[in-house]
Amino acid sequence: MGSLAIRGLTARYGKTVALHGIDLELTDREFFVVLGPSGAGKTTTLKSVAGLVDGAAGEVRIAGRDMTGVEPYDRGVAMAFESYALYPQRTVEQNLASPLRSGRNGTWTPAQQAERIRQVTTTLGIDHLLGRYPRELSNGQRQRTALGRVLVRPAEVYLLDEPLSHLDAKLRAAMRAELKQLGDLSGTTTLYVTHDYQEALALGDRIGVLREGRLVQVGTPTQVWTEPVDTFVARTIGQPEMNLLDAVVDGGAARTPGGGVVLGVGPEVPAGDAVRLGIRPRDLEIVDRQAPDDRLVLRGRVVLAERLGRSVELSIDVAGVQVIAVTADHRTREGDSVTLVAEWANVHVFGAGEPAPRLGAACRPEPAQLAGGAR
Amino acid sequence: MAAKELTPGQRRFSPASLGADLVLLGWFVFSLFPLVWMVLLALKTNADQITTFFAFTPTLKNFGIVLSDEGTRLTSVNFTDALFNSVINCVGAVLVSLVIGIPAAYAAGRWQYRGSNDVMFTILSFRFAPELMVIVPLFVIYNQLGLFDTNVGMIWVLQLVTMPLIVWILRSYFQDLPAELEQAALLDGYTRRRAFMMVALPLVRPGIAASALLAFVFAWNNYVFPLILTGSRHTPVTVAVTRFLGGGGQAYYNLTAAAALIAALPPLIVALSIQRYLVRGLSFGAVKA
Repeated sequence: MGSLAIRGLTARYGKTVALHGIDLELTDREFFVVLGPSGAGKTTTLKSVAGLVDGAAGEVRIAGRDMTGVEPYDRGVAMAFESYALYPQRTVEQNLASPLRSGRNGTWTPAQQAERIRQVTTTLGIDHLLGRYPRELSNGQRQRTALGRVLVRPAEVYLLDEPLSHLDAKLRAAMRAELKQLGDLSGTTTLYVTHDYQEALALGDRIGVLREGRLVQVGTPTQVWTEPVDTFVARTIGQPEMNLLDAVVDGGAARTPGGGVVLGVGPEVPAGDAVRLGIRPRDLEIVDRQAPDDRLVLRGRVVLAERLGRSVELSIDVAGVQVIAVTADHRTREGDSVTLVAEWANVHVFGAGEPAPRLGAACRPEPAQLAGGAR
Repeated sequence: MAAKELTPGQRRFSPASLGADLVLLGWFVFSLFPLVWMVLLALKTNADQITTFFAFTPTLKNFGIVLSDEGTRLTSVNFTDALFNSVINCVGAVLVSLVIGIPAAYAAGRWQYRGSNDVMFTILSFRFAPELMVIVPLFVIYNQLGLFDTNVGMIWVLQLVTMPLIVWILRSYFQDLPAELEQAALLDGYTRRRAFMMVALPLVRPGIAASALLAFVFAWNNYVFPLILTGSRHTPVTVAVTRFLGGGGQAYYNLTAAAALIAALPPLIVALSIQRYLVRGLSFGAVKA
């Protein structure tokens, strides 16, 4: 158990720069999730902490100890690889015993080893597979074995590289819940890498969003969800993706080209600037009655209604702009005219560019501006 | 008729396939005939050896002559000693190549640096230089170092034959192993050396068996190096076989054939004894780590 500090971590493979100066501080026992698309440098970050990347520069401190020039086997880290990296010539039990037999992770008598392996495999639900070889396991079982090889041993830091990615959807949800309750994980500093935003939100004490080798935002799940630092983070988190509507600012109000969406952006955004308005599909609500004037109101026609069991995903044409909304209301049909409302605080205003930085939340526009939009 | 899945490449009868079979059969006869001829020749008496008849009274006497003092008297080389020399030379050469070549192949497979491909190419290039091209300087060097007509000298020179083979074959085996396996071992708390011994080495065992066998066969069949670099004391079997053709005196084709058949046995025995690993080697790719 220990803290983990990363300062100015860069990594390059030949001419390609994989990481551009990552700074990260994990307190003892923190569960930190690195979220990002494939190729963002997530695995490289983990391997650099483990000391497995030759072209890595920068400072890594584990439990306060500088790791410069320290061999991987002396760092006291355990890692679950995305490719599992199970020893093919060894059984599940021998794979799990490997870290206990190396002598660098405490001394274990054979009886203690067996007991520890039994505990971990029981928790992971693979205790009936101890005698099998990796080639005789399903991908889900292999992944849990790889996770078991980490959990079986004490370590300063656990590094988990997409440990749930190859499980089927149901098992993944179940394992996500189980992971959270695992005593070994909650007691050890963990750096967890995933491309699944739900895992990140559900598991992380904090989340770091990685894009092309840079950490673009670090924060609690709530912060990352409610105040995404730019459109990249906003789109990475949430399914369906956040609606992003192009708009132009005019006198403190932003207006979409068709005039279907008008909202106040505050006086600090200069007139004439292009902005993008972000609204999460689940923050849009269909109302039957007269639209309340304390919220953003959108009026449009349903182009497509996809019924996905409990919820319905609607594509709505709002004065020429396509907006996605998710609702539980099954009465809505294609071709219907609907009125959608959203809280002002849930409407994000981003600047121009890609990715565009977040400027703030929207506010209620002045009545005069609203009238202009209705014209 | 029982339902059967179609396998690509499975046979269907057609006139074209019949023609292809005939061509194949012709090729088969053509390529195997020298072997058949050698076996026939080995069974012929001195009187029959220069005839081309297939009908004759077979005899096993030739094998006895080759292995006895009578053979030694004819060729001034003891054929049994020659067999023994060949075994020492080839086993020695393969062992030395393995001890040096396995770490070399591992490094070449795992470590890419500027010029690493050039180094590998240089190692391979030992194989393309015609042996006759280097034999004269080698002969001079061997004479001066006192390596002429010694087993050590032969083991040394056979490295030119065995080492490139072993390094190149094993390198591709090591490259096929995911590096993450050894990384996992490092993080389990094992040093690099132990990670290599514990994880990488056992997984390339089929490759070691296959490359060692190939290297053994190539070393066994080498003729030019021992022809020039050995005298009469440490003659290996390839040179001893040709002695029966006689240097100016009577040529014993039947004895030569019998000696060649005996000389072909050891590689055959080695191949059969490690066949189990060879088959595993072929299916190695099926085991995904």
